[in-house]
Amino acid sequence: MKLSDIQARCDRVPFFRHLGFSVTEANDTHFIARMPFEQRHIGNPVLDTYHGGIIASFMEAIASLTVVDDVSSPPPKPINLTVDFLRPGLPGTLNTRATVLRKGRRMASVETIAWLEDEGKPVAKGLFHFLLV
Amino acid sequence: MIANFWNSRAKGLITEMDLQIERADRQGVEIRMPFNPDFCLDEEGTMVHGGVLTALLDSAFGLANFLAVDDVQTMATLDLRVDYLRPASSRADVIVSANCYRQTRHIAFGSGKIWFDTGDCEEVARGSATFALTRGKGGLLEKMNTRGPGG
Repeated sequence: MKLSDIQARCDRVPFFRHLGFSVTEANDTHFIARMPFEQRHIGNPVLDTYHGGIIASFMEAIASLTVVDDVSSPPPKPINLTVDFLRPGLPGTLNTRATVLRKGRRMASVETIAWLEDEGKPVAKGLFHFLLV
Repeated sequence: MIANFWNSRAKGLITEMDLQIERADRQGVEIRMPFNPDFCLDEEGTMVHGGVLTALLDSAFGLANFLAVDDVQTMATLDLRVDYLRPASSRADVIVSANCYRQTRHIAFGSGKIWFDTGDCEEVARGSATFALTRGKGGLLEKMNTRGPGG
């Protein structure tokens, strides 16, 4: 899958446009994307930090992209997710790496990590399960 | 009171979601989110993205804790778990209910569910979360009052 095709697919999804991320790296095992901070992403109005749901949504979006067979495939059906929030989501560009742990015929499991500047200091970690049929 | 306060101080995603508090007390909260095409998976707006439901649950947990936990000063989500029980294919309002079912000095445990306001009220998602708390005088309310949005 070409990066430009993946981005074109994302640009057709209203909620992905709302998140405003761009995919910077994509191969069979992992995707990387970056999302600039926006006012509409704020969760805590005192600290101006990211809304936890935005971080989780961003990770879910990238996770879902890693398990589609090609750019025209329908999106996988999310079954459930677990997100651990490890550090405050301070205002700044958020990065996500999604790694496919297992992709079978029916199910896929994808692990994600999100960070601001240092991948070694993650803001959140996620595990997402998708139904592929 | 809390509803007016929450809405007037809201910014960011909470404002985007245009949340309306239906019920909010120490026992729990119920919040309505109108249909919004920006939160959909497709241009036709037939399917709400699951992430929006996750965000909605997280917001509802926040408000529920805020009301249930005495002297809460800061609150940070430790983890969030969501099961997507049915496809979110409806243009009806989304309703979330959430409550803090257990609190200790440092941790609050929350549970919540989501359904569309369609009559059959079939659950679309269910979630749970844990929060790290700090308690003390001069809690969130006062901070928001004196510092205002963006403080």
